[in-house]
Amino acid sequence: MSARAVTSKLSFLGMAGRHNRVPSPYPWLMPVILVMGLFYLYPVVDVFRYAFTDLTLLGGEGHYTLSTFANVLTRPELLQILWVTFVFTAGSVIGQQVIGLAMALVVVRSEKRHLFGTTILRTTALIAWVVPGIAGGIIWKMLFNEAPFGGLNSLLRLLGMAPVQWLSDPDVVMWSVVLSNVWRGTAFSMVVMYAALKAIDPSLYEAAEVDGATARQKLFFVTLPQLRPAILVNMILITIQTLNTFDAIISLTGGGPGRATEVLSLYTFNVVFRNYDLAAGSVLSIVMLVISLGLALIYASFLPKDEKA
Amino acid sequence: MKKSLLAALAAATALGCLPVAAENLITSDRVGPSDAPKKMVFRMTGDGPSSTDPTWAAGYTKLYTDFINNHPGWQLELQMMTGDISQEQARMLEQAKAGHAPDCAAIDSFVLPLFKQAGVLKSLSPYFKKEEIDQLFPFVRDGVTGKDGQIYAWWWSTDLRVLYRNKEIVPNAPETWADAKAAALASVKAGMEGMLFNGSRYEGTGFDWLGNFWGQGGKLVDDAGKPIFADAANRDKFVKAVNYYRDLVESGAAPKRVATIGNYDDFNAAAAAGTTAMFVGGNWQYRQLQNSMDPAEFAKWTFSMLPGITADQRSTGTGGWTVAAFSSEPEKVEMCAALAREVYMGPANALQEQLPTRTDLYDKYDVFKSEANQTFAKALKVGQARPGVLVYPEISNQIQIMMGKVLTGAATTDAAVDEAYKATLDAYGRL
Repeated sequence: MSARAVTSKLSFLGMAGRHNRVPSPYPWLMPVILVMGLFYLYPVVDVFRYAFTDLTLLGGEGHYTLSTFANVLTRPELLQILWVTFVFTAGSVIGQQVIGLAMALVVVRSEKRHLFGTTILRTTALIAWVVPGIAGGIIWKMLFNEAPFGGLNSLLRLLGMAPVQWLSDPDVVMWSVVLSNVWRGTAFSMVVMYAALKAIDPSLYEAAEVDGATARQKLFFVTLPQLRPAILVNMILITIQTLNTFDAIISLTGGGPGRATEVLSLYTFNVVFRNYDLAAGSVLSIVMLVISLGLALIYASFLPKDEKA
Repeated sequence: MKKSLLAALAAATALGCLPVAAENLITSDRVGPSDAPKKMVFRMTGDGPSSTDPTWAAGYTKLYTDFINNHPGWQLELQMMTGDISQEQARMLEQAKAGHAPDCAAIDSFVLPLFKQAGVLKSLSPYFKKEEIDQLFPFVRDGVTGKDGQIYAWWWSTDLRVLYRNKEIVPNAPETWADAKAAALASVKAGMEGMLFNGSRYEGTGFDWLGNFWGQGGKLVDDAGKPIFADAANRDKFVKAVNYYRDLVESGAAPKRVATIGNYDDFNAAAAAGTTAMFVGGNWQYRQLQNSMDPAEFAKWTFSMLPGITADQRSTGTGGWTVAAFSSEPEKVEMCAALAREVYMGPANALQEQLPTRTDLYDKYDVFKSEANQTFAKALKVGQARPGVLVYPEISNQIQIMMGKVLTGAATTDAAVDEAYKATLDAYGRL
C-alpha cells in the first residue's frame, strides 16, 4: 500500500497526521447511521417493497405487482376511513393543543401566585399521559358503558339527567373516542407549552404592562406570538402521534359500531392482522406516511425561518 | 434447651422449605424446575394455572403439577395470550412463518385452516392412536386433518351458543324468534334491559348470530370456499336473520348498547347485577354464572337452545380450542402431544366442563352426565362449525361491520348485506 493510500485511509478514520488534521466525521457518524439504517430505514424500505407485491401472511412467495396499489386506493370504504381519521385527528389535536395551553397557563400563573394544588394538577395530567393506550381504552370503556351500572351514565342518572349513548350512537361515538384521546394526550401539550411559557422574556410583559395592556391583550399580542414556534412543533408531534393511534380505539370501540371509529391506523392493522393482507397493509402504511409528512411540511412552512434552522 | 431450640429451628426450616419447593414448581410463566435441562415454550389461553377463575386455576395447577412430575427433566415456559384472539393468532401465524413460533400453542379452531395452509404445523399423528382419532366428532376430525391425512392439532374442547334466561322473569324457553322478542319485551316491562348479545367489532358477534342463518339452511361458502351467503339461494335467509336482530333493537326488546358489546363477561356482569333476564352466551358461562352467583340467585338461571325462525329451524355455532406443535425438534413435538393428551384431552374438559370432542369422554366423566351438559350435548347435534376456509376471517369481519351499521340504524339491512357480500367476494379474489 502506498504512503498516499495509507494517509487517505487514516484521514477517513480521522487519524491522519498533525499536518492535515481535519477530523473526519464518518467514524463518529457510523454507529448512528448503522442503527438508523438497521432499525428505521430497513423496515421503511421493506414496507415500500411489500407494497409492490401481493404478499399475504398466509404463505406463498408473492409476486411483484402494481395491482395492490390500484386495489387499495380504489376501495369504497377508504374515503370513509380517511374522513373518520380526519375528524379524529383534528378533534384530538385541537383539543389537546387548546386544553394543554390552558392548563400550562393556569400552572404558570398558579406558580407565580404560589397557589396550592399546582403540583397536583400537573401530576394528575401526567398520570393520564403515562397510562398505556390499551389501559386507557379499557378505563374509558368502563366509564362509557351504557349498561344501567355504567360509570358516566350512573352519574348522569344521579344528577337527574338522561343517559347518553356514548358508544352506540354513530353521531356521538367519535366524540367519545376524541374525548378519551384528548384526556390521554393533553399532558404532553401541557409540558411543551409550559416549557415555552417559561422561556418567554419577562421584560415583554413588563413593557406590555407599562403600555397598559389588559390580560387578554397580553395573551394575544405577547404570549401567543411568542409561543408560535412551540405550538407548531407541538402540533406536528401530536398530529403524527394521533395519526398513529389505534391501541386506545381498538380497546374502546374496536373501530365500531360498523366503521364509525375505524381510523386509518386501525384499518391498516385490521387489513394486516385480520385480513392477513401484508401488501395492502404496506400500501396503507405508505398512505399514512405521506399524510404525516404532508401535514408536517404544512405546519413547518408556518415556522419562522430562523426557527427552522 | 439448646437442643429443643435447634430442633424447633430445623423443623421450622423444613416446614418453611416445603411450600417454597411447591411454589417453585409452578409460577406465572413456568411449570417445572427452572434448572430443568429440557424446555418447551407453550403459548396458551386462560385455560391453565393462571385462569381468572380460582377453582379452575387450582384444578389446572394440580393437572400441570402431575404432568410435569410425569416428565422429569422438562420445564414448560408459559406465554399467555391476551383476550384479542384474532390478533394473537394472526401474530403467531406471522411468527411461525418467520420461524419464531413457540414450540407448542393453543390455536383457536376457526383459524386452524390458516396454520395448516401455511405449512407451519408439525404432524401429531404419531402420538395419537387411530382409535382415539376415530372417536373425534366428524367435524372435529376433518378440522384437524391435513390434505395428507395427518392430524396437525389436537382439538380438545368444543363449545356452543345457547340462550340464557332468568326463569323468574322468562319462565318458558323461547323456541322461535317471535317468542324471544315477546319474552324480551316482557322482561323490559319487568324493569330489565332486554335481551343481550354481542354486536360490536368482535368475533363473537358474527359467530353467535350465525346460528340464526344456519338454522334456515343458509350456507356461508360453497365447496370451493367461495362466499355465497348473499347469493340468490341464501340472501333471503341472511337478510331475515339480520332483520331478527335489527327488530329486537328497534322494538326495544334489546338495548341499543348491544352494538357496543364484544365480551361474554359483560353478560355475566349484567346477570349478576340483575339488569338483564336474557342473553345469548356460550355453554362455558353456565359454570361461570354458578361460580359468581350465590346459589339462590344462580337457581333462577337456566338456558335453552337458540330460538329459530320456526321451532324446528334451529342451529348454533360450535367452536373450540386445539393444541398444536410448531417445533422442529421431535422431542418437543412429542411433549406437546403429551400435554394435549394428559392435561387437556379429558381432564381439562372435566375441570372446566368444556364439552369434549370425543364421544367416549361423555361417558367417562360424571360431570358430563349432568342435566345441563346433557342439554348442551343435545344442542351440539344441531351445531355447526365455522367453515375452515381462508376467507372466513374476512366474512366474520364484514358481518361485524354490517351488524354495527344495522343495529345502530346507520344503514338499511339490504345495503349493509350487499356491502358485506361484495367486500368478502373481493377478499376471496385476493387470497
